[in-house]
Amino acid sequence: MSVAKKVKESHLYSKFNKINGSHPLKSVVPNGFIDYPARKRKGGKVKYFNYDLAKEMGLIPQSHDNELTPELEEKILDTFSIQIINEFDQLNNRTFSKEDMKEGQYMATRYLQLQHEDKKGRTSGDGRSIWNGQIKHKGMTWDISSCGTGATRLSPATSKYDKFFETGDPSISYGCGYAEVDEGLATSLMSKIFNANGMATERTLGIIEFKNNIAINIRAHNNLLRPSHFLLYLKQDDLESLQSIVDYYIDQEVSSGRWSECPKNHKKYDFFLDKVCHTFAKTVADFEDDYIFCWIDWDGDNILMDGGIIDYGSIRQFGAFHHEYRYDDVERFSTNILEQKSKAKYIIQSFIQSIEYIKTGTKQNLNSFNSHKVLDDFESHFEFQKNRNLLYKMGFTEKKIKQTLKRHEDKVTKLRKLFSYFEKVKSKKGVVKISDGVTCDAVFNMRTFLREMPQILISQKKSLSAEDFIELIKTHYAIEEDLELSSYRRQKIKNIQNSYKKLIKSIASLFQMNYEDLLLELSVRSHVINKTNRMTGDAATYVVEKLANKKLKEDEIFSLINDIVQSQNLIPGKKAYAPKKQVTKELSQIFDIITEFREGI
Amino acid sequence: MSLVLYSGGFPEENESLDNILFDIQKKKSNLQITFIPSCSYFADTEFEEFVEQYKKFNVKKIIKFQVDLPFSEIQKKIAFDSDIIHLSGGNTYYFLKHLRKNNMLSELKSWNQNGGILTGLSAGAIIMTKNIATAGFPSFDKDDNDEGINNLKGMELVDFEFFPHYKNSKRYDQELIAHSKTIKTPLYACPDGSGIVVQQDQIRFIGRTACFHNGQKYFVNK
Repeated sequence: MSVAKKVKESHLYSKFNKINGSHPLKSVVPNGFIDYPARKRKGGKVKYFNYDLAKEMGLIPQSHDNELTPELEEKILDTFSIQIINEFDQLNNRTFSKEDMKEGQYMATRYLQLQHEDKKGRTSGDGRSIWNGQIKHKGMTWDISSCGTGATRLSPATSKYDKFFETGDPSISYGCGYAEVDEGLATSLMSKIFNANGMATERTLGIIEFKNNIAINIRAHNNLLRPSHFLLYLKQDDLESLQSIVDYYIDQEVSSGRWSECPKNHKKYDFFLDKVCHTFAKTVADFEDDYIFCWIDWDGDNILMDGGIIDYGSIRQFGAFHHEYRYDDVERFSTNILEQKSKAKYIIQSFIQSIEYIKTGTKQNLNSFNSHKVLDDFESHFEFQKNRNLLYKMGFTEKKIKQTLKRHEDKVTKLRKLFSYFEKVKSKKGVVKISDGVTCDAVFNMRTFLREMPQILISQKKSLSAEDFIELIKTHYAIEEDLELSSYRRQKIKNIQNSYKKLIKSIASLFQMNYEDLLLELSVRSHVINKTNRMTGDAATYVVEKLANKKLKEDEIFSLINDIVQSQNLIPGKKAYAPKKQVTKELSQIFDIITEFREGI
Repeated sequence: MSLVLYSGGFPEENESLDNILFDIQKKKSNLQITFIPSCSYFADTEFEEFVEQYKKFNVKKIIKFQVDLPFSEIQKKIAFDSDIIHLSGGNTYYFLKHLRKNNMLSELKSWNQNGGILTGLSAGAIIMTKNIATAGFPSFDKDDNDEGINNLKGMELVDFEFFPHYKNSKRYDQELIAHSKTIKTPLYACPDGSGIVVQQDQIRFIGRTACFHNGQKYFVNK
């Protein structure tokens, strides 16, 4: 390569140079992290790179081909292929050559984690991750962190065994500081699907693969702070740090333009509280209605401050409402999808306590906020969002939803209750053990109801018989006993169909629309929103096995993930086209997997 | 028996064929059309476009019916309650496999023989003919037979084979001429926007259509 070309390409990727461990949070909460020196880690190759995200972040130009040039790969490896020099290395006086050392220091942040006995966040935080830094592009801020960069002292293992571990120590799996390729691919896949459908989530920038399925998984988001990054200071009665991190978060949101209406005086704390309350009420309602299992607990781990999903290890998207599913985390079972709400509410209550602490300088008992108006606000926002989501899933546009909730909220709430009855029916087989937890199968798939009902009404005006209705919405899990038609259930079937039709007729009249025209509009939209072949957690596991195939090259993985994401579009009107060439054999096999597990966990 | 075979192309290219379709359809109001995608993946966008295309003809009752996924009797019933059923384009082998697996070939055939109008675009049109061999060429733009389909028999609603997306060029003609030598029936090749309308025993060629028969090529409609 000519010198001129090299200079040009080094300029092309110059933004990477800013990712060097520095981050403004370090000066905000000096006791909120552990800074580690790091060295270059050799032997890695780029397994996956998210060109779309890299362009959004300004790391590569918009005009850059989705192609991993040797120069780009070198830049990615130079920036992200690192391993921290941890306490074990330092205690054992391990030395590394100067040219292998990275210049910056990389922080592992402290946050609350329920797995730690301490329960106050003095020992917990990023156990195998570090923050690479923060960059800005077109007014947007991007936090970048990497998982698998070495064992930190904040892992549950160090806290449990009271010793420092060598990175890669085979005697300890969770706590050895490594990450794996398949978990990186699973995160890349699911986060890209969620992001494309407008959900807040961490996003995968890249995966660096090493021998034995080991990987460094690089993630990015506008702000990687979780509630647990705040609540540890509340637990530790550290008012100064608590106020500093809240101020920092508000500043970040204001400067990014997301909270442009935030007041500048002390009222900013009330604004913060309202925003967080509304975000979490909306998020947990959305999770319930999109059948997203996210282990939310009192510690505020596993979720970002903007309600975004982080740590995909236990994230699942169900094909039906498997509301008894619990993830088995060896020492404890997770919450289930319906308990996510009360845990989110508890987090909000902790934020109320935090803000009162900041405003008054006195930390009051958490229970004294049991009846706080912000919690009432949480409930009403949650209820509003649940009604909104049902209308959206039925296929109504935002304009129609807005007016309907003003004029016919009672009808929506009535339909929602009936809808929820069918959604929650579980199999008489009872609770069963599955590979990563326990569940009780959902008997009905209410997405089928939402998808098929408009066109059934288009074709025939009369309601379905109870038998046809059950036949239409049953999942493949249902056994004969689950489908018994008691008089109570027959009445429910009659009621839900009447309630559904009544609501649509009211909305047609509200918008002076022909009933049939509205049904056709709903049919087209609900087919997209309630797609039959929705990616589930089970499907993702098997799809990732295919993607992890050693024979697939980096560009093939990128292209396959993009094609899968296209096929998972849930936004009506957004054109999702089949790949330009014919569906490849790999993609076809992946579709077979998604289809097979479409009603699963 | 009424059939409309579309080669392909954008909706506006197929306006002439659409106009004929609604001419031959005796029922002039309250029409119901069923759209059967060749594959459930990416079918939502196709369905959205299909609805837009036929809303212009004042059709308000449009049904989507997916044959590559399990379906209930009620879904099938409303699909077959339609006046027109449209088989979409896509991979011909995959589509044929799932139609055959669900016994749809014979059901669609008898529905058509009882007065329903069957339309098909590209793969959907090929399947309506005697044999889907034409999906396997030209070598530079053929459907992949990943399904390993050996029985290439179509619905046999017409006594010819159909080749969509035809381009009047040597490399296409070479392969079509070669194939025509191996079959007894004519092979009609249509570029996008062209097509064939069959009513009882009458056959009409709409737009440019080439016929390949016994190793000869000629245009039946220029």
